[in-house]
Amino acid sequence: MKARIIQFSPALGNIEANFEYHKLKIIDAVKDGIDLIIFPELSLSGYQLKDIIYDISRERIDKVLVGLMELSKNIDIVAGLPYEESPGMIYNSVIYFSEGEIIHNHKKVQLPNFGIFEEEMIFKAGENFKTFRIGNLNAGILICREILFPINAYLYFLQNTDIIIAVSNSPHRGMGEDGFSSHKLWERLGEVYSINFHQNFIFCNRTGFEDGIGFGGGSFYAAPGKGIVKMGKYYEEQVIDMVINKDDIRRSKISSNYLRDEKPDIILKELNRIIHG
Amino acid sequence: MAEINLKITTDIIVRFISDSIRKNGFTNGIIGVSGGIDSAIVLDLTVKALGKDNTFALLMPYRTSSPESLSDGKTICDKLGVNYEIIDITPSIDPYFEKYPTDNKTLIGNKCARERMSVLYDFSERKKALVVGTSNKTEILIGYSTLFGDSAAAFLPIGDLYKTEVIELAKYLGIPDPIISKKPSADLWMDQTDEGEIGFKYEILDKILYDMVDLRLTEKEMIGSGFKKEDLQKIQKMITGTQFKRTMPPITKIHNRTVGLDFRYPRDWNK
Repeated sequence: MKARIIQFSPALGNIEANFEYHKLKIIDAVKDGIDLIIFPELSLSGYQLKDIIYDISRERIDKVLVGLMELSKNIDIVAGLPYEESPGMIYNSVIYFSEGEIIHNHKKVQLPNFGIFEEEMIFKAGENFKTFRIGNLNAGILICREILFPINAYLYFLQNTDIIIAVSNSPHRGMGEDGFSSHKLWERLGEVYSINFHQNFIFCNRTGFEDGIGFGGGSFYAAPGKGIVKMGKYYEEQVIDMVINKDDIRRSKISSNYLRDEKPDIILKELNRIIHG
Repeated sequence: MAEINLKITTDIIVRFISDSIRKNGFTNGIIGVSGGIDSAIVLDLTVKALGKDNTFALLMPYRTSSPESLSDGKTICDKLGVNYEIIDITPSIDPYFEKYPTDNKTLIGNKCARERMSVLYDFSERKKALVVGTSNKTEILIGYSTLFGDSAAAFLPIGDLYKTEVIELAKYLGIPDPIISKKPSADLWMDQTDEGEIGFKYEILDKILYDMVDLRLTEKEMIGSGFKKEDLQKIQKMITGTQFKRTMPPITKIHNRTVGLDFRYPRDWNK
């Protein structure tokens, strides 16, 4: 399977302009024989929505969803948007479109709400980490801060996923001698999930600025058992292509099978003991 | 203080300037060049972002300004190939103080800073150029600026860099040595120096601010690492006492949605 990351900077609040950009990139990808195109978290709306979120009507969102469903007849699409499930109940969603339909809608569970983040002000939190099928691959989606809780990736791992699509709006921060410390957050876990959880791990982060906050890019692909094999540029808009090979998963498990040696029943018992005493 | 990566810092600031100008529908930037280090590096970074033909400089001396400031301002503009205009603000300042005389240097300094802001915004419209601000993190945190004067700008590219980091960045960018090595001064009156007026050397001030603000160290921890309690308290007072300079004026709430309180939109709304 050929996958493509679109690392770009959405216009803040302008979902129609962002949809047009998605459309252009999707048409290009179809021409290039790509099977799956991945846009970052909130790729259709931008990140720091504040009150803009209430100005984005369900009709506007529905129009974009229909447009993406139509485009997904020729290619699978991952895109992010504020998803208003019922009036006023808005999720930070990442949706998987395929064959003209919505196959999966992952609603962000861990909403960051500290410092420069205020997602709990505007979003309702999702409640689960369910998998879905992409052809012969079992897949899961993680959104930004969810990536930083290894237990979330672990839940997918236990559901025998082959691929984790991880999308982000990560602001760069923590400048030091080696650059921004925030890049390492994602790369470190990409290495862990691809090697210790045998995953095809695709990290798609946005670029650009919103009210001075810069988003770092640095999207990458980490292959099962290998770690990061394809690294995108920081800060720049970029298209990153990769080939997902299911055989890599088998090779990774044969080499050192962490899934076979897992003891989820013991983990569950221990969690029960810790939580309920 | 942790070292910063100057190459990446430069890259980010250049991208930020370019993005801020473009997304607001402009192609040009205008900068008040004082002859000091802050405006010199902002000019350099703006030229990197927009090109020299899209960058304009205004040099705005007052009769008491040091001649060295003007010549250093010209030097950096010439080095970068930037078009500039020299506008003597004395005829706009002196008639006012002839009518309302004062010996208070702060009053004259503030008046000059606001006149420069006024000229910059006038030229912003004339040149269709956004005002690129030159405030650094140290002065923003301690409020060492004139409200609606030198702090007024469309955006602040070096507003998260401490003064000592600005100096390091200036060396990295190859800013001419006289601009780097002279004592930082707002040049609002003769022989004024920042450090004299603030009462701290930038080296100490920045270390304290970095530990307090960026590392969130407690007073106890900082005293433990050798800082004086009275210095820490003085600086904390400067920060707290100048919070009004860092926020929009409050509006008393009457209706359901109030600007600045629960009418919450990003500045980059639809951009």
